[in-house]
Amino acid sequence: MKIMVCIKQVPAKDSTLRLTEDSTWIREQDLSYEINEPDAYALEEALRLKEKHGGEVVVCSVGPDRVQQVIREALAKGADRAIHLVADGGSRLDSYPAARLMAEAVRREGFDLICTGLQSDDLGFAQTGVVLAELLGLPHATIIMEVQAEDGRLKVKRELEGGWFQWVQMPLPALLTIQSGINKLRYATLKGIKQAKSKEIRRVIATELGLKAEELAGRQKLHRVYVPVKTKQTEFIDGSPKEAAAKLVEKLQRDARVL
Amino acid sequence: MEIAFKTQIPGGGFLIEERLPEEVFTPEDFTEQHRLIAETAEQFMRNEVLPRWEQIERQEPGLTPRLLRQAGELGLLSIDIPERYGGTEMDKVSSTIVVERFAQYASFLASHGAHSVIGTLPIVFFGNEEQKKKYLPRLATGELIAAYCLSEAEAGSDALSIRTRAVLSPDGKHYLLNGEKMWITNAGFADLFIVFAKVDGEKFSCFIVEKGFPGVATGAEEKKLGIKGSSTRTVILEDARVPAENLLGEVGRGHVVAFNILNVGRFRLAAGCIGGAKQALQHAAGYANQRRAFGKTIAQFGLIQEKLAEMATRIYAGECMIYRTAGLIDPLLAEAIPDSPAYGEQVRKAIEEYAVECSIDKVYCSEILDYVADECVQIYGGYGYHQDYPAERAYRDARINRIFEGTSEINRLLITGMLLKRAASGRLGLRAAIEGLFQGSPASGRSTEARSMEERSTEERNTEAASLLGTEKHLVAAVKKTALLVAGVAYQKFADSLADQQEITAAISDIVMEVFAMESALLRAGKMAARSGVQSSPQPIPDSGPQTVDDKTAHVLAMTRLFLHSRMDWVEQRARTVLAGAITGDALRRQLATLQQVTRREAVDTIALRRQIAARIIQKGKYAAG
Amino acid sequence: MSDAILAVMEQQEGKLNRMSWEALAAAQRIGDELSKPVEALVLGEGVRAIADEVAASKLACVRLLEDPLLKEYTPDAYCLALREIIAAEKPYLVLLPHTYQVRDFAPKLASGIERSFLSDCIGYRVEDGSLVFTRQLFQGKMNADISFTGDPPYFVSVQAGSFRADQVATGGQPAAVESFSSKIESGKVRTQPLEKFQEAKRTVDLTQAEIIVAAGRGIKEQENLALIQKLADALGAEVGGSRPICDNGWLPMERQIGSSGQTVAPKLYLALGISGAIQHLVGMKGARTIVAVNKDQNAPIFEVADYGIVGNLFDVVPALIEEINKAKGQ
Repeated sequence: MKIMVCIKQVPAKDSTLRLTEDSTWIREQDLSYEINEPDAYALEEALRLKEKHGGEVVVCSVGPDRVQQVIREALAKGADRAIHLVADGGSRLDSYPAARLMAEAVRREGFDLICTGLQSDDLGFAQTGVVLAELLGLPHATIIMEVQAEDGRLKVKRELEGGWFQWVQMPLPALLTIQSGINKLRYATLKGIKQAKSKEIRRVIATELGLKAEELAGRQKLHRVYVPVKTKQTEFIDGSPKEAAAKLVEKLQRDARVL
Repeated sequence: MEIAFKTQIPGGGFLIEERLPEEVFTPEDFTEQHRLIAETAEQFMRNEVLPRWEQIERQEPGLTPRLLRQAGELGLLSIDIPERYGGTEMDKVSSTIVVERFAQYASFLASHGAHSVIGTLPIVFFGNEEQKKKYLPRLATGELIAAYCLSEAEAGSDALSIRTRAVLSPDGKHYLLNGEKMWITNAGFADLFIVFAKVDGEKFSCFIVEKGFPGVATGAEEKKLGIKGSSTRTVILEDARVPAENLLGEVGRGHVVAFNILNVGRFRLAAGCIGGAKQALQHAAGYANQRRAFGKTIAQFGLIQEKLAEMATRIYAGECMIYRTAGLIDPLLAEAIPDSPAYGEQVRKAIEEYAVECSIDKVYCSEILDYVADECVQIYGGYGYHQDYPAERAYRDARINRIFEGTSEINRLLITGMLLKRAASGRLGLRAAIEGLFQGSPASGRSTEARSMEERSTEERNTEAASLLGTEKHLVAAVKKTALLVAGVAYQKFADSLADQQEITAAISDIVMEVFAMESALLRAGKMAARSGVQSSPQPIPDSGPQTVDDKTAHVLAMTRLFLHSRMDWVEQRARTVLAGAITGDALRRQLATLQQVTRREAVDTIALRRQIAARIIQKGKYAAG
Repeated sequence: MSDAILAVMEQQEGKLNRMSWEALAAAQRIGDELSKPVEALVLGEGVRAIADEVAASKLACVRLLEDPLLKEYTPDAYCLALREIIAAEKPYLVLLPHTYQVRDFAPKLASGIERSFLSDCIGYRVEDGSLVFTRQLFQGKMNADISFTGDPPYFVSVQAGSFRADQVATGGQPAAVESFSSKIESGKVRTQPLEKFQEAKRTVDLTQAEIIVAAGRGIKEQENLALIQKLADALGAEVGGSRPICDNGWLPMERQIGSSGQTVAPKLYLALGISGAIQHLVGMKGARTIVAVNKDQNAPIFEVADYGIVGNLFDVVPALIEEINKAKGQ
């Protein structure tokens, strides 16, 4: 099975985010990044499928040079090679241009399966995978919790709302967006890290794909980014654990009248 | 790695030569590979070890060996083992990175170090081909866990006075070992013991002793102050039958094994101390951010900020030192050829070259950790004295580091001692540098900084202060000069009996350590500033106009300034101790005047610097320069 | 050209998804402000009754799209049908609830006709006659205001709870239901949906609980759930958890609260060691009173909490159990 995994580099979960002076984005300088969590599960699922069915796992990431960090991590975990689509401000692209870039770069590769995370922890559009499927003319299924591949077909477990699931079948090639928690992530071993050094990373610049700027322009305009104004005023309760607990119980009884 | 070595830097050379920022390795030089290793080690600790620390602390049977094997599967036990013996064979920077992460839980770090450093390296460096083939692949995976057995009840610092005896059987097939080893980390579950014994009660030698050999037993668990999660027992050898082929190295050459392994152990311990100190700072910053008093978080108070800033600054200096040292050792290690029979010898030489730096790192970083752990308790207040909070354990766990792998006292004696020895054997141009100083010419051919402040015009000084780290460069030149001055005076007075003057020797070492620490901090800051295109010293007050320096560089520059200026006070104090202890009368007055000239400097606003440094620690909730 | 605001009503097995009403409420408000007609769309097979139910709302019309291939949801059939009706009716804005199903087909629908889809919006405003939407970034740590460039139709989905279903305006008389016949070729439907199922037999219905005590990553170990259970016992509450807790198998899936689990609205919700990822918040922000205990004072859970205690839950929870028992003893 020839599998591609799309991975995105996002600010690390525990990051304190600060806005740029013109409030159009966050300050990227001094920020640490990590692989988007659902994408890590997508990679793990792809590696497991490869271990079971043989083949190749190729990772693809869109963004500036710093995304090589997550590419190397994926290679260290066992991906065979990588495609880096060089794009500045890649994280600010809405889903369409990122998907378009990837579609053009991999169209001729002929992947049997493409896996992405179900959404990114930064923009959270939950669209890139599905748009990529559309651009490549592939069937897809989203929010996947189990993947079975047999005889050129997929049987996947789709998560529905409220604790429900559904099995869905489709032919290959196809695209799946993977839910966090589908599997247990592996560590990059030191051996893997060493081997990653010699694995191929193909750098592709948008213009090399014959795409024009207007084809990649998003159809959205970002006006402003800001810290959400709290809709609820949280009353913080101070003091030692004992004092705080006593005060809280009193408030729940008197003010909120819920006890 | 962007390290440009013009020539090989001699061990101890920092004292007499001037280095450029691009010649030192710094955490900013980590490769992608280094970062990935850090991530794996961090994840492993976070997912596998830290959630189980309470069970480990209780020494739940089988748990630590299981975790070590799991670390082995990931390659985290075998960074120093060549690939041909199943290792991952990576550089010292990589192992330093792993140690720093493992230091988040000191007991586990102790078990890991006893196994993979002092337990395994004797075979890597000194084993013959059969021994390496037999043991290393299984040590790499953790299938075998190792322990290092040197100390005895009455032979600690004075290691060569051990009483364990080895006698060769009449048929020459095995040795019979008798004796009792003490303070043996991992003894409770180790499969392999590196044992030092004297053949015929005279010739100091080293043996690989398997647990299953007849006559090998261990005592009960020792009840320790800290690192309670690590196993520490005696190892009892009663007519222990050790096959003759398990002699490690040559008869009578065991001290070569013992001392070289300790050098690596010291370096590694220093890295562990910095990792542990970062963890303690993170706890302290986290607590300061959440604990409220008088209507605000305590992190908003000046006296807490002062502590956080000082903790971070010392950790920063220690971090600069350990990675600089790793960067010194690695190019020499890279020259060693794993497949050659001389590999062990080449590696040993690389490490032995920087024995002074390893000792300095050990003393300095273990004292940083103690300081940081102590202040961590203080920031926690009453909760710091309670076992349910992490400060209490950090405080207890820190304490051993000033004792094992050579006490702070032994190492202080060693630092000056080794420097003088290197000077006497012509490997270090110390004598010329001291003579140069007394004749008033620049201490080093390359130095133009060595002129005293006194000789320089006000204009010159102003230009210097305005240029990036100009004043700080001058301080480093001054501390070097101070070190040479006191060493010269002391040596002139006591000559070869200087070693008997322990207080003076240790005070000289204190200054020498500051030279290494201050210069390492300065060089890293210079390297960072150059990379981010900073030309001049930024204002120490935050929020003063638009940012021209990136936050991290500004933070590092502030810590460097604070560190250099505040350590200079201590240097002066130690220098006076040496001078007054060595000479009297006019000679003393003359040297004190020289000292005053050399160390003359303007006061900086350390309060503002500390507030600035603390602001970032509070914002990030942890050490924020790594 | 109708220039309408079109709300897509999601139904599954003949039942409308509650979030569809929220999308409709949003459509009505926007339609009012822009003076554009508001229409609703129901698609499926044998869903006339649903169209009639929707028609009670204040609408220009309800469009009913029925086809045997729409009986079971598939992204291919849904997109083919919707593209046809969009091409024919040329709405200005297509509003959808941000459900799992919408996430599955809407990106394909929009990109297939070279239009943009702004997913998971939480609000909007009209600026110089055009729409600016607000959506969350970085797991709710930031908000962004975004508008469309290019030509309509525009596609927007709205986050659960961002608009109120009970604010849907009803009309004086039922709106007309206009049927639209589509021509979907069965050969173009590539995915085949199979059975729906639940992992385990349901034993608890958190949606009915009055008080919920929920645990997150902050409890660190499964054993510590005993402490959470003790608090729940003291309060007479049910225990719930965030996704990581249920993924670890520490709590059964049916106790998971959030977008992939249960959406709950109890009288009292105690979030212990839950940082408050957006996926969790959408499942519980409707609770009447929310109490959060977390080490990190910047945790997003405090954005929705009425009462917050910044501290170690292992200190706070035992104290809380004691105080509750004391209060009950009185």
